[in-house]
Amino acid sequence: MSIQDTVIRAAGLTKSFGDVLAADGVTFSVGRGEVLGLLGPNGAGKTTVVKMLTTLIPIDDGTATVAGFDVTSEPESVRRVIGLAGQAAAVDEKLTARENLELFSRLHKLPRQRRRSRIDELLGRFDMASFADRPASTYSGGQRRRLDIVAALVADPLALFLDEPTTGLDPRSRAEVWDSIRALAATGTAILLTTQYLDEADQLADQILVIDRGQTVAGGTPDRLKADVGRDVLEVHVSTDADLARARELVAALPGASVDLNRRQLDVPISSGAAQSLDLLRRLQDTGVTIDDFQLRRPTLDDVFLALTGSSTTPVEEIQQ
Amino acid sequence: MTNAAQQHVPPAAPSFGDRSRWAFQDTATMLWRDMIRTARQPEMLVFAVVMGVFFLVLFNYVFGGAIGAGAGVDYLQFLVPGVFVITALQGAQQTSMGFAADLAEGVTDRFRSLPMSQVAVIAGRTIADAARNLIGLILVALLALVMGYRFDSAFGAVAAIVLTTVIGFSFSWLGAAIAAKVRQPDMVGMLSMFWLFPLMLASTAFTPAESMPGWLQPFATYQPISVAADAVRGLSEGSPDRTDLTLALFWTIGLLAVFVPLSVRLYRNVD
Repeated sequence: MSIQDTVIRAAGLTKSFGDVLAADGVTFSVGRGEVLGLLGPNGAGKTTVVKMLTTLIPIDDGTATVAGFDVTSEPESVRRVIGLAGQAAAVDEKLTARENLELFSRLHKLPRQRRRSRIDELLGRFDMASFADRPASTYSGGQRRRLDIVAALVADPLALFLDEPTTGLDPRSRAEVWDSIRALAATGTAILLTTQYLDEADQLADQILVIDRGQTVAGGTPDRLKADVGRDVLEVHVSTDADLARARELVAALPGASVDLNRRQLDVPISSGAAQSLDLLRRLQDTGVTIDDFQLRRPTLDDVFLALTGSSTTPVEEIQQ
Repeated sequence: MTNAAQQHVPPAAPSFGDRSRWAFQDTATMLWRDMIRTARQPEMLVFAVVMGVFFLVLFNYVFGGAIGAGAGVDYLQFLVPGVFVITALQGAQQTSMGFAADLAEGVTDRFRSLPMSQVAVIAGRTIADAARNLIGLILVALLALVMGYRFDSAFGAVAAIVLTTVIGFSFSWLGAAIAAKVRQPDMVGMLSMFWLFPLMLASTAFTPAESMPGWLQPFATYQPISVAADAVRGLSEGSPDRTDLTLALFWTIGLLAVFVPLSVRLYRNVD
């Protein structure tokens, strides 16, 4: 990524609330059309990072720029090129979607003649026409979230901050929001997405930054993270208990192998890919084990997260700002 | 969408002229938003307006006999300007609670992330409340006329109502500052008891200062509500007192000078 393609740049972002270090030297950059997933449990400091970058709270230490503007010294310029949606920002519940978009486009100083066409375009593109003229208080969770995101788009932001955009949504609404996010990235918007959901980061993000208690735990592409932490696992299902007993003897010496008696399943970590897998399967067959099914699976982000943070969720309340 | 993000050129930093223009433009936008919200919850308007009517009717018919006889005055003539000021003060309390509710809504965080004038968020609220106050005051004045109150002149009536609205507006900024500091609507409601009631009752709005104990009289004479009530009384009766008017303006300007910048700062620092 070349320098001028970098839209969001954070270097050593640090923020504490009293004794709690909510962000500790968080560093990353997001390029045009790129989605960075900030992944972490509740209270990890994700919202704090978003609030610093969107000028809502001052930065204690470190620097951040958006589209080249310094967040601390040029907040007004930053506000002209960003959009914010999710946990940290909402819409006016008493107003309809159309009125909300009119409100935000006026505050963004969009010229009057452009407002109407821009709002119609957004309502059409995100399929909101059917509820655009009802007050937002009557919306379903998915409709409200969609309005939330669209409200951040009225002024064509260069950088979009989505703070847990799908938390609390049903699977269908979630998929719709995902589609919207992919479409936005495709138009060149730089997107910073925070999420507690591993599959969401896996699905959407080009780069993932795992943070826990304000600290960066790991970073990289989803594939890279998975490769770094876990090795592939060969899963073998056998026919009978007798098969299982024989197989168990055979794999007992292999490091990390496990046997699930109920499902008649063997899990064997594989370090050298196909050759080792084939070898193992052949030896199982040679001892007379009937193999029903097998698969070589990649570790999931869940495995990664568990390995990195020691737990999938940290029992620390989200720090309220 | 065309690849708008691609063509997007980051704008230059806003100039001082931009900022001043935004302040007016954004305040107008916030007023537009308030109008829609009010139209959608007209009961809020009724609540704002009805308080003055309550005070007028209750005080006149419940306490009027006792206070009027004791002080040897026509109590309704004494009471109406006081009720004006109390109505405006209630409006300021509305600002406080309404703004706290605004702050509790996530939409305010979005406002803070927008390239808009920050003072406009509060000014939109205080100006809208001033407009509601004005409507309330006109209703109170009409009711007072029906009950037998007499203004000295139409000019006096207009001057009294305008002065009351302006005083109420300055108190609204005090209310907004409290809301920006405290934030929880319930808490703001409770707190307003502490500043509102002493100011309201230990004042010359409902009773002349002479009827109070000596140690309370200096406070009851010079505190802003009393000064405002006396000034408005003078205008209504066609005998404006220069000292009262000067003091009332002094309080108004003082409140604005302190609480406009303070409320904006507290609002910005909310985190």
